[in-house]
Amino acid sequence: MSAVIPRHRVNVLTGIKSAKLIEDPVEYANLIKKAKRPLLVVGPLLLASTPDGKILMEYALNIAKACNIPICATAQTKGKIVELGVQPDCVYDVVEIVNALKDPDWKGVKKEGNHDLVMFFGIRSDLGNQGLSTLKHFAPHLKTMTLCKHYFPHASYSVPNFKKDEKWLEFLEGLIANLRKGD
Amino acid sequence: MAQVKEITRKLEEIHKKIKAEIPWEPVGPTPMPEIPDLRQWDMRLLKTYAPFYAPFCDLCCFCTYGKCDLTEGRRGACGIDIATQQARFVLLACLMGCSAHAAHGGHILEFLIERHGPDKKIDLGTFIEVEAPNIRTVVGMKPETLGDLVIALDYVFKEIGHLLDSCHTGQEGSALDYESKALHASMLDHVGMEVADIAQIVGFGYPTSVADTPLVELGWGAIDKTKPVILVSGHNPATSTVLIDYLREHNLEDQVEVCGLCCTALETTRYSDKAKIVGPLSRALFFMRTGVADVIMTDEQCIRTDTPQEAAKVGSAMIACLDKAMYGLEDATETDTDEIVRRMVDNKEQFAILDPAKAAEVAVRVAMKIAPERKKGWLTEEEAIELAKKCTNCRMCEQVCPNLFNIGGGITEVAKGNFDLIRQQFLQCIGCGKCEQECPNNVPIFKIMQTAAGTETWKCRAGRGPVMDTEIRNVGAPITLGTIPGVIAIVGCSNYPDIGDIADMVEEFAKRRYIVVLTGCAAMAAGMKKDKDGLTVYEKYSPNFDAGGVVNIGSCVANAHISGAALKIANIFAALPLRGNYEVMADYVLNRVGACGVAWGAYSQKAASIGTGFNRLGVPVVLGPHSSKYRRLYLSRKEEDDWKVMDARKREIVDTVEPAPEHLAYVCETKEKAMPMIAKLCIRRNDTPQGRAIKLNHYVSLYKKYISPGLPEDLHLFVRRDADIPLVYKKEVREYLQKIGWKPREPIGLPTLIGTYPTKVPIDAVIH
Ligand code: SF4
Ligand code: SF4
Ligand code: SF4
Repeated sequence: MSAVIPRHRVNVLTGIKSAKLIEDPVEYANLIKKAKRPLLVVGPLLLASTPDGKILMEYALNIAKACNIPICATAQTKGKIVELGVQPDCVYDVVEIVNALKDPDWKGVKKEGNHDLVMFFGIRSDLGNQGLSTLKHFAPHLKTMTLCKHYFPHASYSVPNFKKDEKWLEFLEGLIANLRKGD
Repeated sequence: MAQVKEITRKLEEIHKKIKAEIPWEPVGPTPMPEIPDLRQWDMRLLKTYAPFYAPFCDLCCFCTYGKCDLTEGRRGACGIDIATQQARFVLLACLMGCSAHAAHGGHILEFLIERHGPDKKIDLGTFIEVEAPNIRTVVGMKPETLGDLVIALDYVFKEIGHLLDSCHTGQEGSALDYESKALHASMLDHVGMEVADIAQIVGFGYPTSVADTPLVELGWGAIDKTKPVILVSGHNPATSTVLIDYLREHNLEDQVEVCGLCCTALETTRYSDKAKIVGPLSRALFFMRTGVADVIMTDEQCIRTDTPQEAAKVGSAMIACLDKAMYGLEDATETDTDEIVRRMVDNKEQFAILDPAKAAEVAVRVAMKIAPERKKGWLTEEEAIELAKKCTNCRMCEQVCPNLFNIGGGITEVAKGNFDLIRQQFLQCIGCGKCEQECPNNVPIFKIMQTAAGTETWKCRAGRGPVMDTEIRNVGAPITLGTIPGVIAIVGCSNYPDIGDIADMVEEFAKRRYIVVLTGCAAMAAGMKKDKDGLTVYEKYSPNFDAGGVVNIGSCVANAHISGAALKIANIFAALPLRGNYEVMADYVLNRVGACGVAWGAYSQKAASIGTGFNRLGVPVVLGPHSSKYRRLYLSRKEEDDWKVMDARKREIVDTVEPAPEHLAYVCETKEKAMPMIAKLCIRRNDTPQGRAIKLNHYVSLYKKYISPGLPEDLHLFVRRDADIPLVYKKEVREYLQKIGWKPREPIGLPTLIGTYPTKVPIDAVIH
């Protein structure tokens, strides 16, 4: 993004570098599939339910399952994840996982090396955006992506602000379907 | 040689200032420390608790060389990088906080010296001999009179000058050094706060050496609207105490209602238990918009900058009482009182009046004149339903709400007669007013929320000032051994994820027999929830600084009494000299005093300096999620960091492996996560096996209650030997430890960081 903005043009949200806005679930799925060591960080907003009674966490678990992506459970999410029959790959709070991720020598959740794509899902927008800023500035070795219904300007890739929740859930369904398709 | 001479001269000068010849304790290595003097201690802390930065913005716009783009490793035109720029910003925030308290202290001191003279003795009552632990430790002086406090403040102001200088373009080039300076500024903040509150206690005769201060009324429903109502807002009690004096002198105390917002409310109720607390800052705009206040008097810090406009909208008269915020108003300090009253009543003019006595008289006379003419009432539900019908649920309000609340949804429900959602939103709302400002249909969201707020009232215990020496003697041993599992200091502002969280936290830890101390807006918020029997935490728990006590220490400046209590444990209980001995004190607190600060709604620069001051003293602070916007935390990485200490008894360096305390400044996203985290951050290396088992019992049980039925993932790091395992979980924990191949560790006689980094302090200094 910064390459196409003249130096004197600054966006109000972040300054210079802001997230690439992606509305197409296929494009999102491709980015995820391309990643070698992705990580999914889930937060407490996923403990809420959709109008038809589905827990948002199920979307996250389906995304992880589709591509065998390790899950980092933050805040109090571990309990619900276990209840849904999944063992999170690690339990860190959001600032802790961000702190670890910014170390290029960190071995990652699976001890196979630091992650190259980190997806954040269900973290409050203010805290999430600040954590993403940390990674944007201090973790040039990885890319970040968000799955919540709001635009996160400090991420590398973000969805737009969805005015209607149904549109956002549709996006997530589309993403899961595309991830399941394989390459 | 010249350098040695210079040091000697400087030291002589300091010794003169602090009256070193009075031999109450030997003068330690760092009386009146300057920027470099405690730098090594800071660097040792920062080695384990490294700064973690989250920039708001990619740019720096501090000077005309810029704006400079600091992304992707770029440096600014002055050479600064993004981390150092964040640290500079943090230092500036801490300096603003420190200045706010110190200047408040300076103003109060001047006012009180004018009233009582500089020789007015400092006497905090029978049970407080160590009257000023922060001043004694940092400055190296035992203040005996109001005049002595001026010496402490002069030192603070001098240091503030140097620190602010370092923020100028093109100087400090190290983030760590800026952090050390921020720690320095924030340590000074505790000195400034201590000066302010001691002066207030002595000069205004606030309660001291007493625990069961009166229970006062809280909530705007407690205000008798039929009387003239004067609202005092801010922090500086020079205005409100003089107002109360005026009412008392004129036998009007029962005829005029005085209520307060933010810390001034706490200060005022320390002076008169007839005064009412409206609530924390997050309720300011709501209350002002009710129009219930006939006169609004502002003083300083955390008063809204739009008070004159808001007052005018609802027909409240308004007086700015302090030079910090004069709002462009005419300065009527020298104007004839009758004329001011006339112009305020007839022309609805607003004034700055910097003489508290004159401001008090004007406020009372104006309130009594205009109150009978004004219509003051709460909006009814029926009216709210009508107003809500204007909402088209366009969700513009949601886009600007810092919490992204679906306010439109809440309002739409009100239009249907359902107030449930808006009631819940009100508890989470920080009262910023952005939503209403954005609404294209001019829906009066705040008015409608008034109905959601209701007129329920609660109780808050009036602030009591310093913890008594006698209390410290009783709890010193159980705290340092760990059998009182911790002191939880819930402090600061009201940018909460949910205002009810505060009472829940107090309840959870008081019930578990921690000592819970509170200050500032948090002290009010704690009272704003009732249990099933209709009782608030202040009515349920003892006001003593003891296991299971819930103690309102006072306003923001009273935070110095919390750091002071930690220092007093080292001094009174452990008999370590504190005079000019900061490093030894901080090392003691870090390794022994299981205290944890909780600034769940911190938003201000003052909260930044209060918290960072606690950090330098070795007290960790848990912050609420909004506080990620402070840009900097102090985090360790438990499995990778340096947890070595010196065993002062054996004189050898030992790797303890245990991250105790794990972090110094930490953000939690939810109350559920914060609960076990707070318990964990009370763990100290010095805990006895019995104390550790008690602390781990709470850590595990809070984890099970709020996170997951299993055991905490890092439990093994805190179990040193089998005796540390809490009895209730013995079997489960033993099985887990065996599974992961845990090995018991050697006990440590006397853990200290002294001796693990370059310092002038000898190891012997920590032995007591
Ligand atoms: S202070 Fe430095 S980084 Fe900031 S605008 Fe000036 S030159 Fe640029
Ligand atoms: S006043 Fe409350 S609801 Fe409105 S924008 Fe601010 S936080 Fe959101
Ligand atoms: S901006 Fe106004 S009209 Fe739109 S949803 Fe909010 S309250 Fe309703």
